[in-house]
Amino acid sequence: MYSAFRGELFKFARRPAVWVLVILLLGLAILLGYVVSYLFDTFGSSAGAQGLPQGTTLADFKVALYPENFIKDTFATWGSLGGVFALILGVLVQGSEYGWGTMKTLYTQRSGRLTMLLGKITALAVLVLLMVVGLFAVDAASSTVAALLDGKAIAFPSADVVLKAIVAGFLIFSFWAVFGFGLATVFRQSAMAIGLGLAYALVVELLIFSLLRGFGGKIVQQIEQWFPIANTGYLAESFGSIRFKGIPATPPPYADATHAVLMLLLYVAVFMAISAWLTRARDITA
Amino acid sequence: MSTKLAVAVIDAAARRPLLPGVGGEKVVETHGLTKRYGTGIIAVDSLDLNVYRGEVYGFLGPNGAGKTTTLRMLLGLISPTAGSATVVGAAPGSPASLVRVGAIVETPAFYPYLSGYDNLRLLARYCRVAASRVDAALAEVDLTPRARHKFSTYSLGMKQRLGIAAALLKEPELLILDEPTNGLDPQGMADVRNLIIELGKGERTVLISSHLLGEVEQMCTRVGVIRKGKIVAEGTVDQLRGAPTLTVRGTPEETAKAILVQVAGADNVTALGDATFSLVVDLQRTAEINQHLVQAGVAVTELHADERSLEDVFMELTGTEGGL
Repeated sequence: MYSAFRGELFKFARRPAVWVLVILLLGLAILLGYVVSYLFDTFGSSAGAQGLPQGTTLADFKVALYPENFIKDTFATWGSLGGVFALILGVLVQGSEYGWGTMKTLYTQRSGRLTMLLGKITALAVLVLLMVVGLFAVDAASSTVAALLDGKAIAFPSADVVLKAIVAGFLIFSFWAVFGFGLATVFRQSAMAIGLGLAYALVVELLIFSLLRGFGGKIVQQIEQWFPIANTGYLAESFGSIRFKGIPATPPPYADATHAVLMLLLYVAVFMAISAWLTRARDITA
Repeated sequence: MSTKLAVAVIDAAARRPLLPGVGGEKVVETHGLTKRYGTGIIAVDSLDLNVYRGEVYGFLGPNGAGKTTTLRMLLGLISPTAGSATVVGAAPGSPASLVRVGAIVETPAFYPYLSGYDNLRLLARYCRVAASRVDAALAEVDLTPRARHKFSTYSLGMKQRLGIAAALLKEPELLILDEPTNGLDPQGMADVRNLIIELGKGERTVLISSHLLGEVEQMCTRVGVIRKGKIVAEGTVDQLRGAPTLTVRGTPEETAKAILVQVAGADNVTALGDATFSLVVDLQRTAEINQHLVQAGVAVTELHADERSLEDVFMELTGTEGGL
């Protein structure tokens, strides 16, 4: 398995698409998460301040950009959006092999199919972990710059909270990556996998559940708690909501972190099992 | 299929022990290997194939005959519906088999964003081969000057050569090459042909499928012809072609026939009509036969050797007309 793992890392390190994805995510994290927000909260017009809770100004929202809130801010912005990048990564890692016809090359080397698959998924996990660590790192750095610019104290969350956040982020992104990987395995291509992955996330879990919540309230939430993307939200929100003048920005999550972790682990296991079964059983005809 | 040909090539299993260079350790062995698709198509039908250590075995067949499906089954890429196969003493596709087999299946596929060199380095990692083998494999196929260029910039011929280099990386006991000269220019084809002949020397076994009969004729010690998923003939190229014949035309017809029967024996003379006869004789006796005919007062108007090409045999066996 180690040789398969090393081989996959060799490919990732040299693949431009991987770097483009990671750099884009980190670049957007700085640009959208901090630069744009900072400029808006600092120089925003009065029109931008309309609709804010009574007694608050745009400047009050800058607290989200300071180090003490960098984990909550990272999850608020990238808990779902970042997952899309992980989904694309998972799809590319597996789907491109079908596109290039390299499955036959992979499976005629030395190791068995499942060993190769395990090596690939392990390497993907390493990449996802680096992505998550990178995301928190650039957000921590950006929040430090924001605090320095405003002359605020630099107070990061404790190390164990940071570590938990990295683990939670890793689980959230891993779900998305394995989801993409599984879809690419099922459809044996990238385009369909990305399209259906995004359609599922946007249409089923965001649009349909949002609409239904308007009618069903509690019942819809009870159903929703068994769906994967809802659980990525619960896990992200379990780190708390940023408070603006003592008011939390979002309500507490419907399900707790333990429920979310178990559900996400279950979904990761299911998608890995599907990928493994298809990899083992299918003929390689292209 | 003609009777003569049938006698020459059918029941290959029974004839096999008589063939020179055949026998000993079986490197590839299949019994009733079958691949049936859900749509009812039988791609490979109860195939019994034996390839022996040290031979260069040519696998011939028209498009859709089941060549590639068979090779994919031998590599574990496709699961058979029925039957069994052993490749270098292990199950197809198992690590024990793969480690001793190098292969090209159809067009070689590599990572377009990596150079040829990096593609081979990657494969060396996968199959736990020393990175130093990469340079040697590239040199063997004469790809060293372009090794650092991206695979996506390679011509089809270069891709094919990289595929062969990849197959050689493990220094395999068995090479399975599916149309290895596809896309090569004449010089490239000659180079690959010579390389395969060279690789086939000694203990290494080569199983090669090809559309190019001339190529198979030059490279292979033994040939199997597959049609509709079944082996329809197997033997050396000479055996497949059958013995050459001598065509004689002379008048008066009766005198000519009498002389020819006397010289070659009645069993070896076939009257083709219009004072023409076909003789199964050693071609070295052509001058002698001519002399007998002339001395008997026969006016010989035609005298030539007829050697069937492998292509003629192939067409006859597979019922194709140039559909290679």
